[in-house]
Amino acid sequence: MADQKTLGERLAEHGVSRRAFVKYASWLGSLMALPPATSRAMAAELAKAKRQSVIWLSFQECTGCTEAITRSKGPTLEDLIFDFISLDYHHTLQAVSGEAIEEARHAAMKENKGKYVVIVDGSVPMKDGGIYSTTAGHSNYDTLMETVKDAFAVISVGTCAAFGGIPKANPNPTGAVSIGDLVKDKPVINIPGCPPIPEAMTGTVAYLLSFGKVPELDHLGRPKAFFGENIHDRCYRRPFYERGQFARGFDDEGARNGWCLYEVGCKGPTTYNACATMKWNGGVSFPIQSGHGCLGCSEPDFWDKGGFYVPLSASIGPTAKLVGGAALAGAVAGVAAAAVARHRKSSLNKG
Amino acid sequence: MDLLDFARGPAINVAMAVMVFGVLWRLFAILFLGKAPDRTVPRMGTPGPLGAALREIARRMVPHPTFAFAERFSFFNGWVFHVGLAVVVFGFRPHVLFIKNLTGLSWPTLPSGVVYVVGAITLVSLAAALVRRLTNPVQRFISGLDDYFSWVVTILPVITGLVAVGHVGARYETLLAIHILSIAVLLIWLPFGKLFHAFLVFVSRGTTGAFLARRGV
Amino acid sequence: MTDTINVQAAADKFLALVGRPLATWAEACVRCGLCAEACHFYQATKDPKYTPAWKILPIAKAHRARTGFLGMLGLAPKITEKDLKDWEELIYDSCNMCGRCTLVCPMGIDIATITGATRQAMAAAGIGPADLFAAADNARDRGSPLGLSSEKLVDRLEWLADDNEIDLPLDKKGAEVLLTVSSIEMMKYPDSIVSMGKLLNAAGVDWTFSSKGYEATNFGYLAGKSDIAKMLTMRIVEAAEALGVKTVIIPECGHAYGVMRWQAANVIGRPLPFEVFHITEYLAKLKREGKLEFKPFDKAFTYHDPCQISRRGGAAGDARYLLEGFAPNFKEMSPTANSNWCCGGGGGVQAIARSAPIRYEVFKIKTRQVEETGTSTLMSSCANCRLTLDEAKTATKWGGELASIVEVLAEHLVEKD
Repeated sequence: MADQKTLGERLAEHGVSRRAFVKYASWLGSLMALPPATSRAMAAELAKAKRQSVIWLSFQECTGCTEAITRSKGPTLEDLIFDFISLDYHHTLQAVSGEAIEEARHAAMKENKGKYVVIVDGSVPMKDGGIYSTTAGHSNYDTLMETVKDAFAVISVGTCAAFGGIPKANPNPTGAVSIGDLVKDKPVINIPGCPPIPEAMTGTVAYLLSFGKVPELDHLGRPKAFFGENIHDRCYRRPFYERGQFARGFDDEGARNGWCLYEVGCKGPTTYNACATMKWNGGVSFPIQSGHGCLGCSEPDFWDKGGFYVPLSASIGPTAKLVGGAALAGAVAGVAAAAVARHRKSSLNKG
Repeated sequence: MDLLDFARGPAINVAMAVMVFGVLWRLFAILFLGKAPDRTVPRMGTPGPLGAALREIARRMVPHPTFAFAERFSFFNGWVFHVGLAVVVFGFRPHVLFIKNLTGLSWPTLPSGVVYVVGAITLVSLAAALVRRLTNPVQRFISGLDDYFSWVVTILPVITGLVAVGHVGARYETLLAIHILSIAVLLIWLPFGKLFHAFLVFVSRGTTGAFLARRGV
Repeated sequence: MTDTINVQAAADKFLALVGRPLATWAEACVRCGLCAEACHFYQATKDPKYTPAWKILPIAKAHRARTGFLGMLGLAPKITEKDLKDWEELIYDSCNMCGRCTLVCPMGIDIATITGATRQAMAAAGIGPADLFAAADNARDRGSPLGLSSEKLVDRLEWLADDNEIDLPLDKKGAEVLLTVSSIEMMKYPDSIVSMGKLLNAAGVDWTFSSKGYEATNFGYLAGKSDIAKMLTMRIVEAAEALGVKTVIIPECGHAYGVMRWQAANVIGRPLPFEVFHITEYLAKLKREGKLEFKPFDKAFTYHDPCQISRRGGAAGDARYLLEGFAPNFKEMSPTANSNWCCGGGGGVQAIARSAPIRYEVFKIKTRQVEETGTSTLMSSCANCRLTLDEAKTATKWGGELASIVEVLAEHLVEKD
């Protein structure tokens, strides 16, 4: 199955000049904030790279991540990338079905033992023996563990695969867990987001292809190149935050004036992603630009942070009830303490 | 649950509950302790107890003229950090949003940049208060653990708040969590130590005001 | 006085005394230390232990032990014999309950009241200066701290009346006004008593002394012995009731005024059946009514406010009113009136012999004040202040003069025939 031609050769066949390829490589390189020399090296390495076998597993997911990566508005080269990786298994994109595709997966695993890359979108249900999501009669857990056994690296695409995502949201009926919770003996790269920025996905794959190693990751296993800075620090609305100008709703003067969305629950200050810099749809816009606060979708458990419209500084949980109860108890305790003291006093004054 | 979730959730909730519980307990334990009726005849033409109490609360906002010079540092520095803390707590939008989320109450706030500056001034002022406590023989002599601990729990939220907005030393969510946790500590300590003067100051001044006004002082 | 120390009695006394006001004051201190600026004992010595706020500790500890958070659970430390002994000097020897620190306190804590309550607890435990306690016992047993018994009073009044050719009525039933005396005056400044009689007679007041309730000073209160304090108060109340007077006049004595005017009704548990005036208040009233006229008094002098009359009594204005138009060379000292410095002998401290050295230090604050006015005569309206100042004057060889406002007024009375 594996094509022995290099990526450079294949590109030349498709009429892509070396110049155009180096341009693409440096664009990717600059996205990842790599030094110029590294970008050139990346181009060279990419051109030399053999087709990389990729197995894409889809578990408890919505296919949004696949939608995102296929609709990337990036240079047409991005589409070509798919020609130069050998996508040996992908539910949505593969033409064949049934036993044949499972055989293809096994064949790819055997042929590229220790070299193939597994991309996963979706979380894995662990409750009740994993019956909540199965393919070809196997639970997601079994499929995952079988597939990653001989993989070179695993890329968790989307927040569900990276952190459990929406399936894991409270009360987590399926016992969903992230890929990183299960795969401990292979490098796992998380590219969270709901969905992730397409260029973050392609860029990470390109890095892996060209250098054969995992890019620098943060404490949550995310490539620092795309998840190194928080949205708030790079947000074009930041000056309004500093000036204390906040939209109080989605239809008030502040909203119309494009003021800071902190008060309507924007999670930009605690969300690490490249939305504010790379933006979406080929740099057209991103959620905050379109007038909605950041949901924090590239962070773990973003669904359970007290509500999308609750300001970051507000408390979460039953604060009011607790405080009300405490007030009542405190008042009773205070009056009781005073009553005891008065009683002691009066018996002293009598005696 | 990460540290920020813990801080925004259980930590601050429990701290608020402890604070409210403690404040009401201590306040009611004093207010309902009772006061023997005063059967003496008030001096003619003096204000009633309530008026006198309010007058005294207002009057002691500034030093007694006789002691204005002796009080100059405490008066000035005391006002700076009290007003500074008030501005930071009630003038910064994110702080007001905490209150708004709980009570629905909201009011106009200051530009964040102004609050940062006030926060920095407050920090310096609190530091000066400690320096004085350590160097003034009287204050040093009468100070105890409560005084120093209360100082620490007061200055910590100011420091952690400034560090959080400055993104210094750690990730923002960690800094924010530490800031909220430091406030939780402050809230929990508030009813039990000398910080309770935030409430007692009014009761105490009022009591003395009524007491002295009756005598025509 | 008992020889054994009863700490439990002190703890119980604290509990019995601490109501809302004392609890508030005991808990409100923020240790800002400003009160030291107001305290003459600190100012005279610069020893931080004299900081008024430090004097809150025993009552605060006792209060917390019984009613605080930990106290309710029995976990707070209890007041100990050592605490009481350690604070004895601060509560008795070096607090005049002058209330000056109350002025400066940003929290408005009234340390004078706290000292009063702490003295009661200490006295209940049997801790306190022997001479002050003896004075209280003397007052209980012999009618007066200085041994002025009823017989001696009658004797002395007769002698004073004869000597000065003045009518000093005694036990006159149906009189309007009962005049009391301070035994300090009777023993040391008898002119003061004659002067009061002279002024009241000139104004045509229907007044009398009582052989039963004559001693205005209340050493029971000063010593913290509440039972004696009540007994001494009752003597005057009963005498006034027996004579049917409408008014009781307190002579030149600070704490006596405070006790009778601002505490007696609460001590006996019912409103007083008569009005209480300090002699300066009453003379001001007579002057307002046009019943007294004075020849001008040209001497340059300054006026020392007795704490219990001015700052704690609210009568600072009456002394000024008396001096108005009468003493053109009266110079106010600075600070004055309610902010004036204490003489250092109030609150029974004058009766504590061992406190003499510190009182002499405090006296220097007063002499500096006097010198700053450019005068050399210090007038007052409290025999205790006068005695304190007199004693310090001798000890420190101060060259100034002391005077009594009542005596000076009497000397310059325009006598109508």
